[in-house]
Amino acid sequence: MSTDTSRTDRTDRLADIDGYRVGLYVAIGLLVAFFLTPIESGFVTSLKTDAAVGNTAPYLPPLFGGFSIANYVTAVEVLARGMGNSLLFAVPATLLSALLGSFAAYGLTLVDWKYQVPILVLFVAGVFIPYQAVLVPLSRLYSIVNVADLLWFVWAYTPVSVQYADLVELTVTHIAYGIPICTVLFRSYYTSMSTEMMEAARLDGASIRRVYRRIVFPLSTPMFAVVLIYQFTQIWNDLLFALVIVSTGSSPAAPVTLKLAGLGASLEGLDFGLRMAGAFVAALPTLLVYIAFGDEFAEGVAS
Amino acid sequence: MARVQLTDVTKRYEDVTAVEEMNLDIKDGEFITLVGPSGCGKSTTMEMIAGLTSPSDGTVMIGDRDVTTLPPKDRGISMVFQNIALFPHMDVYDNISFGLRLRDYEKAEIDRRVDDAAGIVQMEGMLDRMPDEMSGGQRQRIAIARAIVREPEVFLMDEPLANLDAKLRVHMRTELQRLHKELETTIIYVTHDQAEAMTMSDRIAVLNEGELQQFAAPLTCYNEPRNEFVAGFIGSPAMNFTNGDLTGSGFSSAHYDVTFPTEGVGISPGTPVTLGVRPEDVYPEETLDDAADPTELIDAEVDVLEPMGDEIFVYLMLAEDTESGMGGDVSGDDTLLMSVSPDSTLEEGDLINVALDRAKIHLFDDDTGEALVHGVARATGASADATGEEAE
Repeated sequence: MSTDTSRTDRTDRLADIDGYRVGLYVAIGLLVAFFLTPIESGFVTSLKTDAAVGNTAPYLPPLFGGFSIANYVTAVEVLARGMGNSLLFAVPATLLSALLGSFAAYGLTLVDWKYQVPILVLFVAGVFIPYQAVLVPLSRLYSIVNVADLLWFVWAYTPVSVQYADLVELTVTHIAYGIPICTVLFRSYYTSMSTEMMEAARLDGASIRRVYRRIVFPLSTPMFAVVLIYQFTQIWNDLLFALVIVSTGSSPAAPVTLKLAGLGASLEGLDFGLRMAGAFVAALPTLLVYIAFGDEFAEGVAS
Repeated sequence: MARVQLTDVTKRYEDVTAVEEMNLDIKDGEFITLVGPSGCGKSTTMEMIAGLTSPSDGTVMIGDRDVTTLPPKDRGISMVFQNIALFPHMDVYDNISFGLRLRDYEKAEIDRRVDDAAGIVQMEGMLDRMPDEMSGGQRQRIAIARAIVREPEVFLMDEPLANLDAKLRVHMRTELQRLHKELETTIIYVTHDQAEAMTMSDRIAVLNEGELQQFAAPLTCYNEPRNEFVAGFIGSPAMNFTNGDLTGSGFSSAHYDVTFPTEGVGISPGTPVTLGVRPEDVYPEETLDDAADPTELIDAEVDVLEPMGDEIFVYLMLAEDTESGMGGDVSGDDTLLMSVSPDSTLEEGDLINVALDRAKIHLFDDDTGEALVHGVARATGASADATGEEAE
């Protein structure tokens, strides 16, 4: 009886493979190739000498002595300072926008007061403001509010160069621009939290601030992972704000994206191998953040 | 420990009145239950006592203090919630001690109180467990311990057993009664389950549509329900109701008549009334002697039998009473539920005669729903005002 069943099962499965499944796997295989080819091409190109880049097809691995890691050495040399600069504003901007977004979402979700909806609408609207729309107002704002002058004592009494005022501006800009999306993400998480738990804490005598610190914040870890990864990737990869605020890749405070834009470009043409190596080097920190918060990220996305 | 008084407490929302002029005087150390169908205002009433909702009108007193405007934490209450609401990221010790730590108690005092509370709910040795490592019953005990540890004057419990399975629920009922005996604290308990209300409380407050229907001891609500709603809500299975009229010689419906002197009923003959009788007060002909004062026999057909083990519920179809042909409303009135002992030999389809116990008959005014009498006398008797208790 049971052998009969298993035989039928196997026949069924074979029948499936013959038909629908072959098509499915072919389609999946093509999609994988479609998405991975650019990355694969970039990676093999980054490992080729300048000559090999010109002589071989872009997606083929470096052969016949065309292999070299010189591109990576150069890329790290050129980008190291830019990466340091990027970390200087990306880390505080990520942490602060996530934290402020979490505060705002808590206040808009788990604390009771009037007119929450219109304020929430403002936050949601903030998510949809395109970067391009704020570029001119942004540069106007920082010509009026001169951060370099405001923080004169930093440049006067520390070895930090005055160009680093640009990074303060970048930090503030990214925090402001990141708060709406962070708020919306945290809000969706907080609406699912048990109100009875909040009431229990209130009955125990916890103030609004205490409820956040002792209960809501510790329970937000999965959402913090999602928001931190998302925000860090956004801020690290941003070129537009950097272009407007820092403007030139030759500034000592230039972030990695500005440095990358100029990497391998010269009058003789583009050094594709170097540019690819630079792209991989510059992408490394976001990859590390992803790996570090991977488990919490999965939990946060699932909830 | 404290007396809790609600005076004309009303809660109005924009479109509905959730609670209408609620007056409750709960004695110190009493275990009372707010019971009613969903939407009756029982949870809102509790939230107003807790301070989680503020009343639109009226005052709430706990002990000698008017707490109507005080925040929950200053009312000397603690609360157990339906979905338990433990803090999932804290272990049992941290959960129980949360309120004490917020109030900056000494470490030794916190430890002593947590140990005491854990002992009372019989959860010693579990203090370092996390909530998700425990069963539903254990979690609810921890929630109760969290409420005990603050040594409140009043315990509020909002359907704390609703999320537990049936067996555990019955067990926890006994636990709660034991807890009440041990702590002698005032307990206000909310439930929609009338069985829970009946078994645990000193008094039950039956609510419907935001209004208090009756506030009395469980057996009083059972034997002398103040109106038709209480009669139908308390007791399982529910009381039988038959629509009919009060006549000069008793009660008359489309299916059966009951004779009794009508002087004491308080309304004049010819008025529509509803007769209520509980399933256990309907008797088949063979056990008629068990009834204190059986009525005239009623023709019926056994429709469905529901054996429960300790008793059998018999659904009866009543024959049309062609002789009198009285009574207005015929719809849904032609059935009667009877409970008989499990050794009964009744079978589905049997044609039998049944009788009601006069002493256990309730009459309700159709206009107001108010109870007119509980138990009626024999036609030859002097007074129709006999109560159910006299017949027992």
